[in-house]
Amino acid sequence: MERAQPWLGTLVSIRVSGMAASDAHRAIDTAFREIASVHCLMSFHDHDSDVARLNRAVSLQSIQVHSYTYEVLRHAIAFSASTQGCFDVTVGAELMNWKFLPSVGRSSIHYGSWRDIELLPDNCVVFHRPLCIDLGGIAKGFAVDRATECLQAHGAQQSIINAGGDIRVQGRDAERIRLRAESFTDAVPVLELTKGSVASSSGYLHRRWCHERFYGPHVNGVDRSPAPTDRFVCVVAETCMTADALTKVVMVRGQESAAVLRKFGASAYMYDAGREWQRLDAEEVMTA
Amino acid sequence: MSGGPAYATVYLTVEQAQALLFPGATFQPDTRTLTDEQAKAIAHASGVPVRNKQIKAWRVSTGGWFIVDEVVGKHEFIPFALALDDKGAVKGIEILEYREAYGGQIRDPEWRKQFLDATAGKKLQLDRNIRNISGATLSCKHLTDGVERLLVTYDLVLKKSS
Repeated sequence: MERAQPWLGTLVSIRVSGMAASDAHRAIDTAFREIASVHCLMSFHDHDSDVARLNRAVSLQSIQVHSYTYEVLRHAIAFSASTQGCFDVTVGAELMNWKFLPSVGRSSIHYGSWRDIELLPDNCVVFHRPLCIDLGGIAKGFAVDRATECLQAHGAQQSIINAGGDIRVQGRDAERIRLRAESFTDAVPVLELTKGSVASSSGYLHRRWCHERFYGPHVNGVDRSPAPTDRFVCVVAETCMTADALTKVVMVRGQESAAVLRKFGASAYMYDAGREWQRLDAEEVMTA
Repeated sequence: MSGGPAYATVYLTVEQAQALLFPGATFQPDTRTLTDEQAKAIAHASGVPVRNKQIKAWRVSTGGWFIVDEVVGKHEFIPFALALDDKGAVKGIEILEYREAYGGQIRDPEWRKQFLDATAGKKLQLDRNIRNISGATLSCKHLTDGVERLLVTYDLVLKKSS
């Protein structure tokens, strides 16, 4: 049983097996509802989302958000701290300037960073400077993880959720996953995954010519420069949120991401145009 | 290899989508053909071109409308079902099918050979064995545009006859 709906700016498909059709539909319905709620809370575009409310907040104004938004921000800050700010959700202004996000009115560049986000008790969030956050680099993975939990709670023995390339597999059977790296190489790499997550990023498909150079949708949080657009990255991790977030780090840092990948128990496969595939993971760090 | 989709999945039949979106209801087909004027008005109001003037719609016994339409992207073809409640608000969207093709690339025997090489000689059927794809996130903008076009179609054409 497999169904698909448009959420989070992309197509989300959910497949379950090992249960009766009516139970499968009920499980999938609940999982899609979970994804829909993450979409509504963390959409950059929706005026009433938690993200939009935070982005409108003035300095030091405490905003109470849903526990999911709070959790995603908590993880985002942890990824930022572990990558010395390479991963940073406060890059919304750059993404607006490079036309990857619609302008939401706050057009001036913000010089703040993840360090200006403070999480208070009771799901309250304070920005110490006006910030423009975008959770597009982490929320899809989070939604896939929550939806996978829903499917498990409803008794799905085997499931796979794919939110525009952010995938989580749960169960005993292996799933084959084709990496869409055709823009770079004619060979088609295939991964086999039994239990875990995979996420991919590439700036090539969406790159834009802007300010006399190519810009992709991935930003180096440290110096706010664009990540290379001729790179394809795939990260394998236990949770989809980790895989989703770490693709952005590998996009920017390439081989230097090995230590961070090891910290989060993840592996990465990277392809730079004109070069060979590289695997970045703990093993390589040990032998390096 | 004679060409064809690189990837194709059928999610739901029209009947299955109807039963999911309006459980227990019955459906009265009410297919319309838009006049040139209506098509122009819909394109103008939605900002989305009207490529197909035939609207496959059903009236739902419990109130509301069920519409089947399709959008065509750069590489993909997506038929989908839209459920509207009796006020014309979106009640649900289900993708019926997803087909993705890479134009000439799939017809190239060299490309096919590399595909097989990449998987250690295992015989893979492109459209059946590997239905999971991970890559740069594809936007569903043309799908949301398609829904917008149908909402305007409801407003300008279907609502008046409800």
